Amino acid sequence: MNKKFAVTRALAIAFKETRHILRDPYTLALAIFLPVFLVVYFGIAIDFNLRNLRLAVFDRDQSRASRQLVETFGSSGFFKVEAEVTALPPTKSLESESAKAVLLVEPRFGRDVGRGGPAKAQVLLDGADNSAVGTILGYLGGIEELANRLYARQAGVRPPPPSVDLQARYLFNPELSTQWFIVPGLSVVVLAILSTLLTALTVAREWENGSMEMLLATPVTPLEIILGKLAPYVGMGLLIQLVIYLVARLGFGIPFRGSHLLLLAGSLLFITACLAQGLLISVAVRQQRLAMQFAMITSMLPAFLLSGFIFPVENMPRFFQWFSAILPARWFMGLIRQEFLMGPAWGDLLDPFLALGGLNGLLILQALRSFKKDVEP
Amino acid sequence: MKLNPVVTGFIRKEIVQTLRDRRAWFVLFLAPVLQLTLFGMAISTEMRDIKLGAVDSPNDPVFRRLTERFYSSRWFIPAGKGGDPFQWIQSGGADAVLAAPEGGLTQAIQRGRGRAQLLINGSNVLKCQSIEGYARSILQESLDGEKSAPPPKPVLELETRILYNPQLESAIFLVPGVVSNILGILTIILTATALTREKEEGTFETLIASPAKPWEILLGKTIPYIVLAMLDGPAVLAVALWGFQVPMRGSFLALLAAGFAFVVTTVSVGILVSTLAENQQQAVIAGFLFLFPAITLSGLAFPVENMPLALRLAAYLDPFKYFVELLHNIMLKGGDPFLVEVDTGVLAVMAAVAMGAAARRFQRTLN
Repeated sequence: MNKKFAVTRALAIAFKETRHILRDPYTLALAIFLPVFLVVYFGIAIDFNLRNLRLAVFDRDQSRASRQLVETFGSSGFFKVEAEVTALPPTKSLESESAKAVLLVEPRFGRDVGRGGPAKAQVLLDGADNSAVGTILGYLGGIEELANRLYARQAGVRPPPPSVDLQARYLFNPELSTQWFIVPGLSVVVLAILSTLLTALTVAREWENGSMEMLLATPVTPLEIILGKLAPYVGMGLLIQLVIYLVARLGFGIPFRGSHLLLLAGSLLFITACLAQGLLISVAVRQQRLAMQFAMITSMLPAFLLSGFIFPVENMPRFFQWFSAILPARWFMGLIRQEFLMGPAWGDLLDPFLALGGLNGLLILQALRSFKKDVEP
Repeated sequence: MKLNPVVTGFIRKEIVQTLRDRRAWFVLFLAPVLQLTLFGMAISTEMRDIKLGAVDSPNDPVFRRLTERFYSSRWFIPAGKGGDPFQWIQSGGADAVLAAPEGGLTQAIQRGRGRAQLLINGSNVLKCQSIEGYARSILQESLDGEKSAPPPKPVLELETRILYNPQLESAIFLVPGVVSNILGILTIILTATALTREKEEGTFETLIASPAKPWEILLGKTIPYIVLAMLDGPAVLAVALWGFQVPMRGSFLALLAAGFAFVVTTVSVGILVSTLAENQQQAVIAGFLFLFPAITLSGLAFPVENMPLALRLAAYLDPFKYFVELLHNIMLKGGDPFLVEVDTGVLAVMAAVAMGAAARRFQRTLN
């Protein structure tokens, strides 16, 4: 039997689904509370600019020069000098996790400085925390130079200017604020999880309750059911995006330098792709419990780990870079960060839009096909 | 020791039921494999292929040598063609642009003040930080080679040594932490859903009506998941040791003891969650609401030292924090006896408190 698609019937389903959502305080709370919670939590909790790293000092020299070196470390702002240790082996404070780095000054350090060097000091870093070590390594050069200037000045020697002095300027995020980086990216994570999860659950629920059969027995066509059921979730996704946008702009003062229209277009493509993914899952498993597990795993892991949210895609081995290219989250992550901070030209966003559009089309077609095949006798 | 037959019956039933459930296999095996693959293989904190553009003027040999030095390092590759640095970076053509001063770097150095500017895309904070770090380390090396006369040696020479993981391999840092994630997620989700399933299916009432005592039910519902986790843990550890070459420098027994205390704590959290939830769906969400902050505060992916005071204090209540610290300390550093004792002690206290609270809540749910 071949029925024509009727907008009114799809709308009726959409209306029913909206009432369902509004009646269920649990879903609604999830949709509003979770994004705000995540954004505020991450926005406040995460700061990649390490400060006040605990530095254990092992000063075997106790001279004026060695104390000045310790002071230079302390006043840099990167390190917090812990009480000096003398008795233990120097690695002890790393082993007992009471410091992230140890500054080791040999005896005769002051004498060597007085003679114009070379005076040696050693820094031991805790390689068990790799992310911190990378940052500390970057700080050390600057501290070394500061100390050298100080010693040269005291000796009355003009400090040798470094032959090339590198001035770094951070474009688009001049203070290197972690919030500017994290908060826009969070909307990808939140949208991915909620859109996929809620769709998978709502369709699986109809199967579990047996109401899908009832719906199918009515004159409504499968396509109308699906469009009607999913339309409210598109609206919900856009609402979530709006909430995060407002928290980012008003709460965290993050600039938006791109085009709102392009952000809207990208969000729509991404949300619908997630809905299609949720639909595919629910068709495949038909049970709320399983649908939930699958939706969580297939949306959360990629969005957190493979989209470049925190761990840059460019650092991954080739295979995972290619693999991440088939994930809508990776493309939307790039798109939303560019839109917020960089204000790209339309042409610069061609890649993410083509990829998002293509993946979106494929997912929707596949979801509709498997759904229709599933319900047709 | 002879176990109470009611409890053993429960344990047998619970293990059989869990292993019969496809979903449980998913949590037990697929999720650990996925996490290990992603954390052990995909994620790396070392950047490669940074697209570096260069803005130079003709006849600037020093600057050209400097850029070549950048490109021959393992981090930077040349960006395509571009002009204005700002637009070059904005369009994504370059991650960073090295710009020579007006008149060229060669001349500037002759005048005694060589200054080059490095413009970096700051929109990704982590990438930006690494790019600057790499650039500075390259510049430090190239300082020596560029001068005709040997430069006066600086007075101070800092020697840096990286201990425990000198190659800074991400897997060695991340994989031990993944062990805590896997065990935590596994126990909390499985325990929470096992009890709420009984509620959903109405078998909970049957349990209450049965002659089994509350503590028997509770033990029967927790021991199987502790056992499963204690089997899963060593399996994951084996993959970490042989698959990812994570060293094991400390005592396996100490790790096992810590793992046991951790698992008892998380299983109890699972029970607590189940007493709050009406159905499995709510249990899973409530479970994740606990797991999410717990994992972010564990210090595995985000630096806890930088968090606001309230969160830093909250981290002291986080069982994941202690277990991650123990995993790192025992596996990579050989285990500092005092730290291991204190952290394991804290975990044991947490386990006792959580178990007690779970038992009380559970009793109240039963009545």
